[in-house]
Amino acid sequence: MDLRKLKKLIDLVEESGIAELEVTEGEEKVRITRVTQNNQMFAQAMQYHQLPPAAPAAAPLAAPAPAAVVEVAPANNAAAVKSPMVGTFYRSASPGSKPFIEVGQQVSVGDTLCIIEAMKLMNEIEADRAGVVKAIVAEDGQPVEYGEPLFIIE
Amino acid sequence: MSDHAFAVLRLLSAGGFQSGEAMAQQLGCSRTLVWQAVHAIEQDFGLTVFSVRGRGYQLASPFDWLDVAQIRTGLSEAAGDSLTLALVERTDSTNTQLMTRAAAGAPQGLLLAAEAQSAGRGRLGRRWQMKLGAGLTFSLLWRFERGLAALAGLSLAVGVAMVRALRGLGAPVMLKWPNDVLLDGKKLAGTLIELSGDAQGSAAVVIGIGLNVADPGEVDQPVASLADAGLQLSRNTVLAALLNELQQVLVEFERGGFAVLRDEWSSYAAHNQAPVRLSFSHHEPVDGVALGVDDSGALRVQTASGEQLFHVGEVSLRPRP
Repeated sequence: MDLRKLKKLIDLVEESGIAELEVTEGEEKVRITRVTQNNQMFAQAMQYHQLPPAAPAAAPLAAPAPAAVVEVAPANNAAAVKSPMVGTFYRSASPGSKPFIEVGQQVSVGDTLCIIEAMKLMNEIEADRAGVVKAIVAEDGQPVEYGEPLFIIE
Repeated sequence: MSDHAFAVLRLLSAGGFQSGEAMAQQLGCSRTLVWQAVHAIEQDFGLTVFSVRGRGYQLASPFDWLDVAQIRTGLSEAAGDSLTLALVERTDSTNTQLMTRAAAGAPQGLLLAAEAQSAGRGRLGRRWQMKLGAGLTFSLLWRFERGLAALAGLSLAVGVAMVRALRGLGAPVMLKWPNDVLLDGKKLAGTLIELSGDAQGSAAVVIGIGLNVADPGEVDQPVASLADAGLQLSRNTVLAALLNELQQVLVEFERGGFAVLRDEWSSYAAHNQAPVRLSFSHHEPVDGVALGVDDSGALRVQTASGEQLFHVGEVSLRPRP
């Protein structure tokens, strides 16, 4: 997981106000926990495989934000909607049109959340649970891997 | 757009000169509205209409309407049994319409072909546009029961069906990964497949195809039409041929996945063993030699760091070093 992504995840946790976010990407697992007591920042990133030197640098980058702790954890990601396939993630039906969902929105089972495109197959990904969209983890137009979290729905 | 454009076009396609007054009477509208409709036929549809004072209007060349009975005449028994044909003069997008109908429980094998689309589109929302009557734009609804993963390679399978049909009609077409149909290196047809369903269970798939039969007029990229291959065919004949092969290939795909069509796809590939560049929206392009595809339809490329598989990216030929 690259630095940019880690930073984005931390931002998402901050913005959405959720207490904890756990993300599994391939063999890497990251859990970000918000600590509210005092404004101190603990950040720590560990991966099972070679650690890119970029990862620990997440701390200074995210430092001005309120506290977040990043730590390794077993995959148990009940609130994440994961990509069912390898492809490109799109938040709207076509460029410039309205995204299917926004953070904070209520979704029902069967609502279209996004499109994953692979080899000209446009897959509408539907919500498999009702809830409120807490975070949009994947980035519009970016490739996603099988099992990569796309949304956090609570 | 004039509400009477299609009605007036139908009257004009009877042939010969049609007087504005007679047409106005038949349609129960004013001559001004007929005049506006003729204007729309020229401006919006891209057709040429001769206008002669005292005689009326005449189409410069005959118009070949899509026709269910004529399409049926060209269908194989298997395709005829499994397809339901629907035509529409004008719609937003046949894909959008079928996705909506799929959600409402429409049956497998429903075909919707449109004379004109106001929001026809390709990948990434790129517009698909053409002169009225110059091409085919249609969508076919199919249902699969074995989950999304089993659908990998479906768009390449559709490409195989198109090549079978078009070569059968006499056009020496090739495929560019994943499934652009090329004639003489230029795009003849494009496909957009949309699906919705369970990751593990049943999925509704809408296969949208746009194909140039005659010169499509001005388009923002080099394109080819069947006319460039010296073919003057009724659109109904072409559509029937495509549907026959689509039906056949979808049945083969349902049974064996893309794996059973893989070698055939590779034999149609325009860039086999050729130096290619893969471009991406979010990172640097990758150069290599195209090696064909794997059982899921992913493109195999020999790169400086070994063989790699690609599920995304846009292929272009690069000159040999």
